[in-house]
Amino acid sequence: MNTKTNILLFFIVLLLSIDSIAQDTAGKKKPFSISGTAGVSYEHYGLSRKPTGWTGFSPRKPWNQMRFNFTPTMKFGKNFSLPFNFNFAMKPTNFAGPYAGIKKQSFSQFITNPMNNFGLNPKFKSTELLLGTQYLNYSELSTGDIGVFGAGFDIRPGTYILKFFTGLSQQGVNYLSGPPSVNGAYKRKNWMFSLGKAREEKYEMAFNFVKAKDEISSIVTPPLTIKPQEGFTMSFVGKAFFKGGFFINAEGAQSLYTKDLLLPVDPTKESFKPFLTARSSTVKDYAGNFGIGRRSKNFDIGAKLKYIGAGFQTPGYPFMLPDRFDYTLNTRFNAWKDSTGGHKMNVVASVGKRVNNVSNTTLKAEQFIANLNWFTQFNEHWNLNVSYNNFGFETPSGINPFGIKNVSNDFGVNPSYTWGNDKVIHLMSFNYNYSKYNERDVITAVVTSNNTHTALLTYVPTFLTKNISPDFSMMYFYNSVPGFKLTLITFGSGLGWTALKKKMNMRAQLQYNYSKTNSFKNNNNLVASLTNDWNVSKKFTWNTFISTNQFEYGNEIIPNNASYLETTIRTGFQYRFGNAP
Amino acid sequence: MKKIILIAAICFTGEICQAQFNTTLIIAPYPPGSLLSWSIKDLTYIVSGSTGVAGQVLIKATLKAADGTVAATTDLAKARAITINPATGNVLYAADVIPLDVMIFTGKFKVSMDKSGKLPAGAYELCVQLVSPGTFQRLSEERCRMFNIASFQLPIPMMPANETVLDIEKANTAITFRWTPVAPRPAEMLTYRVTVFEVLDYQTPMQALRSNQPLLTKEIIGTTQFIWQPQLGFTMCCMGDPDFDLRMKKDSIKNPNHGDPDFDLKMKKDSGGIVHGDPDFDAYAFIWTIQTLDSRGVPFGDGSINGDGISEPNVFFIDRRPPAMRRTGPPSRILFLNKGKRN
Repeated sequence: MNTKTNILLFFIVLLLSIDSIAQDTAGKKKPFSISGTAGVSYEHYGLSRKPTGWTGFSPRKPWNQMRFNFTPTMKFGKNFSLPFNFNFAMKPTNFAGPYAGIKKQSFSQFITNPMNNFGLNPKFKSTELLLGTQYLNYSELSTGDIGVFGAGFDIRPGTYILKFFTGLSQQGVNYLSGPPSVNGAYKRKNWMFSLGKAREEKYEMAFNFVKAKDEISSIVTPPLTIKPQEGFTMSFVGKAFFKGGFFINAEGAQSLYTKDLLLPVDPTKESFKPFLTARSSTVKDYAGNFGIGRRSKNFDIGAKLKYIGAGFQTPGYPFMLPDRFDYTLNTRFNAWKDSTGGHKMNVVASVGKRVNNVSNTTLKAEQFIANLNWFTQFNEHWNLNVSYNNFGFETPSGINPFGIKNVSNDFGVNPSYTWGNDKVIHLMSFNYNYSKYNERDVITAVVTSNNTHTALLTYVPTFLTKNISPDFSMMYFYNSVPGFKLTLITFGSGLGWTALKKKMNMRAQLQYNYSKTNSFKNNNNLVASLTNDWNVSKKFTWNTFISTNQFEYGNEIIPNNASYLETTIRTGFQYRFGNAP
Repeated sequence: MKKIILIAAICFTGEICQAQFNTTLIIAPYPPGSLLSWSIKDLTYIVSGSTGVAGQVLIKATLKAADGTVAATTDLAKARAITINPATGNVLYAADVIPLDVMIFTGKFKVSMDKSGKLPAGAYELCVQLVSPGTFQRLSEERCRMFNIASFQLPIPMMPANETVLDIEKANTAITFRWTPVAPRPAEMLTYRVTVFEVLDYQTPMQALRSNQPLLTKEIIGTTQFIWQPQLGFTMCCMGDPDFDLRMKKDSIKNPNHGDPDFDLKMKKDSGGIVHGDPDFDAYAFIWTIQTLDSRGVPFGDGSINGDGISEPNVFFIDRRPPAMRRTGPPSRILFLNKGKRN
């Protein structure tokens, strides 16, 4: 790790030197500039539990973590720029994904670990080289979620777009039964290519091709739940924009996905050579989406459809849920003109339906979603926000006597009143929310009703002539299910102030939580935090965050009166390159 | 008549003699639709016999739908010979009994397997028998078992919905998570593991999910809701900044500009890397999902490519701005549906 730190220090010294050169040259009006930031932060986490040996609360952060960011952009004249995007942490903390559980990583695993970015994108006119870690988003159905460490380009001659990138999205990681266990993963190589044409504000269209393949020999002990895979996806995506704010977009995609590369080639299945040769575990399916709508200053409306086939799988979106069909309609509009020409009322609403398990006619699951947010400002004192959210999930009985039926309804109302003078503005806000969630048991058809009431009162005075900013809030939360009742009461207050000629912004916050489950003795919780943002100079800032969390159980768990104390200390420095404010 | 009985008796004895091995076939009542996902608990085929009777065998499997239609049969010409030694006992699993590369699927079953790798939902019967290589002579009784394919789907995180914005005062006390159950509900008891990851500066949400230590990992059995008390001391931003206060007075109170589409767009762009300290939209960002585990604690899934039982995640935000500055109306504004696209 020392080598990595030395490399970073070398880059920082180099860039600071360049920064000073940039300032000199800026004075001489030479065509070189630099912007962006570099920084380092340290976070300490502490957890103390009582009684000794009790493990009912687990640590939720690494004990000590150092993070670095190094993101300057150098510009040489009008046409050449060199942006860096280096962000990395010293200690692996992977919980999900290919590196899950890894504690000691090799240098190549460190470089390709998704927690670290090492990207460099030199650009000359419309030609951009993509080096190192890149999170490329070609389209919704091809690739977008996965970072790849490698090399490629993005060239845009005239209205044409040509993109290519290849590299590794994950290194081989051997499975370890542990403890601590490591899930393991095969080394995965990725390729992506896009050819398109676009004219700003008129249209965009592109053919996208994405491939990923695991290297079988990359590990000695393979993971238990996953086989080496290979996937190839191609898509055509198009967008068009018309006068009056109308737009239309669509994408069609086909995927071929081999779920087990260890199984032999199957000539009876359709291949797509030379990109993918079908094996007995290869599946082929389609996906598509379509959107149409209109956007304007005071009125938006849009509709969207999305179909993902049962066998559609793309390495660029590994968590995509297949076998579904969604359609949604949403709108936003302003109404009730005021004297200044603005609007007093704003409404955002959407309604939609999702059908899961589309390929199984007998087991289709239907999901209804509706949302409404309605804001009205009656005058400069009073405003009111009303919201309603609903979702319902229903399946036929299938293998059970009754089908699943879960319905959630949330209704919220939030009036607020503002008043004040030249010295202080007061804001008083009240928020009440009622939530009802019904779940039907598939064996007995008994419906369990889960009701939640939330009330929040907030008071915020804003002093216009003083350097202090207090705020106060109180919240009541009550949740009940047959056999279970939870009551939460929170008192919170914060105070912000400035010092050192407003170069230092500080904020202290204190929060007490009372919680009670059924007839058990209540739990007590105190959370205190302190934030300090200090602009040491125009280019150099020092940020610190300290928090402590003391939680004491009553007698709802064994051992009774157990408690824990969490502390977090985070401090970091940021240096801003260049002369930009 | 005696001759006929004698012939029949000889034939019967001959058949018995050929059935050198005793076999037992065990199939779970509701195995996954994806045959590749069948594990030890889904299919077990136990072979035993007299000591000294050892040799190579082929496994002949016939899969039938409830109406008797043959869905798939073993291609005996391609089947791999397996060495059986009853003295030590042999236990075989799905990869040996119904290997994908030697099964010949027919009709709609082939279409479904080629498309998704899964059998269509419904009732099936699997019959398995040992035969000799070359002559395909019967070496065991045919064992048949009924089972159902239900084609399970992983949960869908519902609340907070994708790209929901929560108020900081409420989030400091409690955040309610809801999700859909595995559908249809399997016979075994499932565990839903709720996980929440903070999206740090310079991270995309997916990067956070794949690399950070979760702030919450809570295992839930029997319901699809969890109320989380974060106890993380989320702090409000921007208070005390005189420029901000002025803007709050002028812009927010007098011109709230709710539902501004540019604001929505900005928030979406920032979802990949929230820059804290920007008063226009300063928020904590999180990504949450459900990991489903079966009764043995093994990731539950039906052919998902990750094999880890993790559902498609949702991103949500906690708005750090003071109440007057929030252009959204509490409790949250939903940027779901067609505004929820990724960048």
